[in-house]
Amino acid sequence: MKKGRTSARVLMSVIIIYLLIPLAITFIYSLFEKWTGILPENFSLISYETIFTGREFLLCIARTMVLCLLPILITTVMILLALFVSTVCFPGLEKYIQIVCMIPYTIQGIILSVSILSLYVSNDGILGNRLVMLFGAYCIIIMPYIYQGIRNGMRAVNVTMLLEAAEMLGASRFYTYFRIVVPNILSSIVISALLAVGIIFGDYVLVRNLCGTSFQNMQIYLYQAMKSDSTKSSAVFVVIMLITFLITAIVLKMQGKENQRNGERG
Amino acid sequence: MKKKNWIYLTALLPFVVVTCLYELLPLVMVVVNSFEPDVGTGFTLENYETVFTKLLYQKAIINSIKISLISSLAGIVIAFFGARAIHQEKGKVGRFFMMILNMVSNFAGIPLAFAYMILLGNAGLMVHIGQTLGIETLANYNLYTSNGMSMIYVYFQIPLATLLLIPAFDGIRKEWKEAAILLGSREGYFWRKVGIPALMPGIMGTFSVLFANALAAYATVYALMMNNISLLPVQIAGSYVGEVKTKPGLGGALSVVMMILMVLMIGFTNKVSARFQRGREKS
Repeated sequence: MKKGRTSARVLMSVIIIYLLIPLAITFIYSLFEKWTGILPENFSLISYETIFTGREFLLCIARTMVLCLLPILITTVMILLALFVSTVCFPGLEKYIQIVCMIPYTIQGIILSVSILSLYVSNDGILGNRLVMLFGAYCIIIMPYIYQGIRNGMRAVNVTMLLEAAEMLGASRFYTYFRIVVPNILSSIVISALLAVGIIFGDYVLVRNLCGTSFQNMQIYLYQAMKSDSTKSSAVFVVIMLITFLITAIVLKMQGKENQRNGERG
Repeated sequence: MKKKNWIYLTALLPFVVVTCLYELLPLVMVVVNSFEPDVGTGFTLENYETVFTKLLYQKAIINSIKISLISSLAGIVIAFFGARAIHQEKGKVGRFFMMILNMVSNFAGIPLAFAYMILLGNAGLMVHIGQTLGIETLANYNLYTSNGMSMIYVYFQIPLATLLLIPAFDGIRKEWKEAAILLGSREGYFWRKVGIPALMPGIMGTFSVLFANALAAYATVYALMMNNISLLPVQIAGSYVGEVKTKPGLGGALSVVMMILMVLMIGFTNKVSARFQRGREKS
C-alpha cells in the first residue's frame, strides 16, 4: 500500500511538471530581452511596460469585459425563467430545456459561428449586425455551463419544498422563486457565471468568424502581437493566463465552500 | 401543487427566442444549406459529392479523425494513471494536482499555440537544446505538421480527460481491491480484470468528449498554420470566412459531416459502455 502511494505521488508530480513546462518557459521568456541560446539574456520588464502604458491593450481588456457581461446576464436570466416554468408548472418541459441547453456542448464554437454567420450575414436589420450576432453566439456557447450550475444549485436546496411552504404562507410562486429560491442558489449562479467569463475570455473562434480581426478581444490581440513581436506577446500571454487562473482560483474556492455547506446540510 | 397556469409560459419566451435565433435555426439552416447548390437554387447532393470525392476534403476528414483518435487515446491513457494516482493519494500532492488540472484546463486556443511556438517552434527553446546536445528528434522537431501538432492536442486533452475521469474512480470500492489481493491477485491483474471494466462507462463517456473536443479544435491550429493544413474545422471556416467567395453549401456539408462524426462516436461509446453495464448487473 505504501509503495502505491509513493508511486502515485511521483506520477502526479511528473504530470504536473509536464503541464507546467510550457507555462513556465513562456513566463521566463517574457522577463528577458532575448532567449536565443540555452539560457535567456538581459532581464527586463520592458515588454510589460509597453503593453500597460499603451492604451490599446487596456482597451482590449475593457472590451473583453463588456463582451462577458451582457451575454452572461441574458443567459442567466433566461435560464432562470425557463427553469421557473419547468419546476413550477410544466415539469414535462424540463427534458426539452435540458436537450436544448446541452446541444452547444457538442457543436462547439466552429459550427455555431459559421451557422450563425451564414444565416444572418445578408440580413440588413439588427440581426445582421456583427456584434449582435456575437452576443447571440456567446449566449449559446455559455448556456450548458450556466444551465448545469443553476440546475445543481436547485437540486441542493429542494425547490419544491420551499415553493410549497411559501405558497401555504400565501406568497405567489413567482415571488417565492425570485425572492427565496434564487437568493438561495446565488453562489451556484455566481460560480457558473465565472466559468462563463473564463470561456468568453478564452474565445477566439467566435470573435474572429463573426466580427473579423478588426474587433479586438484579448485573444485576437495576442494573435496579432504574435506575428510581430514575440517578447511583447509573451507579456500579453502572461496577463491572459493570470486573469484566467485568477478566475479559476475563485471558482475552486467558491465550489469548495459550496460543497462544504451542502455537506453540512445533508 | 403543480397547477397548469398558462400565463407562466410567457416566462419561457426569452429562452425560446434566443435559442431559436442563435442555436436551432442556424443549425437547421446549415443542414438545409448543405443540400443546396452554391450557385442557383434547388435540391442537390453535389456538396456531399465534392466532400467525399475531392482529395482536399477527404484528407481533411481523415486527418481530423486521425489526430482526434490519437490524441484522445493518448489523453485517456495518461488520464487513467493520473486519476488513479489521485484516487490513491488524496493528500497535499493530490490537492495540488487537482488545482493544476483545473487551472490548465482553461489553457487553450491562441495562448497554447503561442507557448508551443516558444517551446518547439522553428527557433524554439527545445529545438535549441536539441541542437546543442545533439538530440536529433528535438533538433529536427517540426511543429508545423499535423504530426507535430498532435503534441499540442495531447497536451490539452490531459487535464480535461483527468478531470472527467476522477469521479468515475469513486465507484471503485476499496473492498474489491482488498478481496482481490487477499485472493492472490496482483495490482495490475486487479485493474485489468476488475478495475478497468468497472470504469468502462466513465472511460467511454470521457473518450467521446475528448474526441469531440479534438475534432472541433480550431483556434490553436489556426494560430499555427492559418489555412495551410487539411483539417475539418479549418476547411469549414475557410468556406465561410476569408476566401474570395463564400461557399455555404460546401461548408454546410462539411459541418454536417463533422456533426455526424461526433454523433457516431457518442453512439459507439454509449454502446460499449452499455455492454459493460449489463455485465455488471448480471453479476
